[in-house]
Amino acid sequence: MYEKIIVLYPELADFNFASGVIVLQNDSDGKGDYIAKWEHPTLAKPTDEELA
Amino acid sequence: MSSIVISGDTSGAITLSAPAVAGTNTVTLPAATGTVQVSGNMPAFSVYAGSNSAGQTSATFAKVALNTETFDTANAFDATTNYRFQPTVAGYYQINASIYITAASNLSAYQLTFYKNGASYTAPNYSTTVLAGIILSGSVLIYLNGSTDYLELYAYAATVAGTWVITAGSNTTMSGSLVRSA
Repeated sequence: MYEKIIVLYPELADFNFASGVIVLQNDSDGKGDYIAKWEHPTLAKPTDEELA
Repeated sequence: MSSIVISGDTSGAITLSAPAVAGTNTVTLPAATGTVQVSGNMPAFSVYAGSNSAGQTSATFAKVALNTETFDTANAFDATTNYRFQPTVAGYYQINASIYITAASNLSAYQLTFYKNGASYTAPNYSTTVLAGIILSGSVLIYLNGSTDYLELYAYAATVAGTWVITAGSNTTMSGSLVRSA
């Protein structure tokens, strides 16, 4: 998930993903990583198609 | 008389008993209203990660799979599926945790985070010192309503390159107990 987001938005390479603005999460339930929260002020949340 | 039995209005009873030990002792109840806390209504638990959780993606919060119980007095910790503490007694709980995380290509940022009801509640620490591994520790005094509220432990890490690991053992643990009823 993270790698795909960075390819889509290279400017997020130095972004602090621990800040809570964008939260990538894995609930250890076998379903893998997902975007739990996306509140970036200028970049749109990637679509499922963009992350596929 | 060695005991006093107080019957409920419709069912149940409470028995107050003196021990069969010589001597006189005094129990003083405070001039306050509240629920008396005894061991039977004070959940306590201690769990740890019994296996490594490898392959964690950089810049991602990962729930710590605390799948081994040392003790769980009220069966309030789910160490099988959701790895969460969900007590049936409302009150304020003191929770302590630590997480041992490592990365083959070094960690660049890391944080221990308590989640309440599926969302970040508090993150007692955050650091960006680059290193190969670290044990993060944190604690929180938190209110849980005794029905729907639950608590989980998450680790966050970013790496210089590649994935990171939540390492099993006594360094990746969470414990807690009720310190005051609601």
